Amino acid sequence: MRACVWCGRQLQTTLTLAQIWQFTPIAQATVCDTCRQRFTAITSQHCPSCGRQQVDETVCLDCQRWSGDRLTNHAVYVYDSAMKAYMQQYKFQGDYALRVLMQAPLAAALQRETYDVLVPIPVDQLTWRTRGFNQVTGWLQNQPFQQALLVRATHKERPQSAKDRADRLRTPQPFTLAPNAGQLLRGQRVLLLDDVYTTGRTLRHAADQIYLGGAKAVTSLTLAR
Amino acid sequence: MQNDEDFFGRQLPLRGAPTNGAVGQHALRTVGERRQCQRCGQWLAVTDRLANGDWYCRQCLQLGRLTSQHELYTIPEPNRFVRVKSGGLTWTGQLSAQQNVAAQAVLRHVKTRTDHLLWAVTGAGKTEIVYPALAWALAQGWRVAWTSPRVDVCLELAPRLRQAFGGVAQALLYGGQADPYAYCPLTICTTHQLLRFKAAFDLIVVDEVDAFPLATSPMLQRAITNAQKPQGCHLLLTATPGNDLQQQVRRRQLAVTYVPLRYHGHLLPQIDLRLAWRWREGLLRNRLPSALIHQLRGYLAKHQRFLLFVPHVVDLPVIGQALQLAGIQGGVTVHAADPDRPAKVQAMRDETIPFLITTTILERGVTFPNIAVVILGGDDPVFSTAVLVQIAGRVGRSADFPSGQVTCYCHSHTKRVRLARGMIAHLNLQGRRQGGRP
Repeated sequence: MRACVWCGRQLQTTLTLAQIWQFTPIAQATVCDTCRQRFTAITSQHCPSCGRQQVDETVCLDCQRWSGDRLTNHAVYVYDSAMKAYMQQYKFQGDYALRVLMQAPLAAALQRETYDVLVPIPVDQLTWRTRGFNQVTGWLQNQPFQQALLVRATHKERPQSAKDRADRLRTPQPFTLAPNAGQLLRGQRVLLLDDVYTTGRTLRHAADQIYLGGAKAVTSLTLAR
Repeated sequence: MQNDEDFFGRQLPLRGAPTNGAVGQHALRTVGERRQCQRCGQWLAVTDRLANGDWYCRQCLQLGRLTSQHELYTIPEPNRFVRVKSGGLTWTGQLSAQQNVAAQAVLRHVKTRTDHLLWAVTGAGKTEIVYPALAWALAQGWRVAWTSPRVDVCLELAPRLRQAFGGVAQALLYGGQADPYAYCPLTICTTHQLLRFKAAFDLIVVDEVDAFPLATSPMLQRAITNAQKPQGCHLLLTATPGNDLQQQVRRRQLAVTYVPLRYHGHLLPQIDLRLAWRWREGLLRNRLPSALIHQLRGYLAKHQRFLLFVPHVVDLPVIGQALQLAGIQGGVTVHAADPDRPAKVQAMRDETIPFLITTTILERGVTFPNIAVVILGGDDPVFSTAVLVQIAGRVGRSADFPSGQVTCYCHSHTKRVRLARGMIAHLNLQGRRQGGRP
């Protein structure tokens, strides 16, 4: 008997005859169905620019305000109360074990994207020491990725999540290219990977740097929007 | 954070050593191949590891994550309090004769520092019975914690204790509190918060000791012994001790004081058991047992307010709808995760709604005068013996309305219901010997 990593309830696994006859290792579930179904997946009706769930497929108001600076982002889940609760425990309380919850959905979402190089948004040195992990790379299992970006180790007086929209839009460029970024990125289609798309400021800063590194195209995928 | 008082009898996780000479130990102790969290005492799983190689404890994550980088700092409890002669007791109420006997017994055990169980029926006035012992302990300069697994109980208790012990500084600790920690002789906290303490308290009063999650959690049980000084003692309060506590009492390992009568001197209402064969199948067709419908219609006609307990949260809307169809209207449903829970319970208290349909969350800690209780599906495993006795204890708590009906509808006879009836009968037998009246 195993317990669900999130809610701690005992998992009821039913073993079928077919599974026994296959003579292959039986996949052990780590998350219960109730927890899995707490999130709301984004359907095909989303903003073509930022991936926000909508009732139609027109460019949303926030994206129109970004005039000209277009970025195509896809998101897997809606950033609702369940996702906030998940992020709170995973990222801010630092429960690294919760990464398994998102590994399968994210792998499926990466399958649907077309790209050559996967670049996750990095965390700075201080966060790496205190949090102990990068919340984005935690969701990757065997997918190859390149750390082409470095984040400047400036001391943040406030975390990004504590700012309002206007403050966040004024955030200066925090990223620089890694020393070997040129040969990694030249002429490649790059997919950026981040946890939450809120204003799009972070991803656009990152995309600017990736373009400077010589990439042909940059798109992005986030877990939540 | 460098304040000495913050470290007295506590375990504070820090990454660097503080300047005040507090003693530190590694937060995660390695024993052979395994690691043990020094705050909650649980063993780490081999997968509880961060990407940078550090280990972390998942069991007490809610109190702030402990990693192998952390050390826990403590200063041994010095009991640096101003002593108040009366123990700060400003309560002017009177204990009844039975309550007084129990209060003296509790005081005697606290004076000799023995662990003690106060087994008092629901509505006996447990809190007041402890006041004399608490006043004595505070007058000795003891550090005392009053703890409960339920945050609702702590929140309800804190203003009462603040009024009863006006002369003593008190701190209320629970997850998500607004006030910062304060070093006080009397600490009211949830059992989870005890994990932050180490050998701090001379006396720990554990209210509702059999309530979830304390009863099933070795981590929280260890937290109580860990937060208590080696020479300290604890006092357990409950109306429905679990099997292991009852066994300890039978083996004379734990001293016990019974209070089998309520403060108004009336006996507990017995659970009236009625069979409702295959009621779940009927519910699929939106039908409730006809006896239940008949009874509830009778309550509505008499303006008798009632609580309807059902086994699960998923049953609430279904049963609510079935009641609507049967013409029993005006009630609301309430469950643990309901954001409007306090408002709905308050509405019931204000007598603006005729009934509540609820799960086991209202089993303890709530008092409505003149209420009837109906349990549907009392044979479901969520209704343990203790839960059934507690639910029955909602009835007849007020001196003006000391009796009332408790009806339990079951698909079949179960041991739990039989034991619950047995426990009430046993307590009533003892109560009758002390002059209780029905």
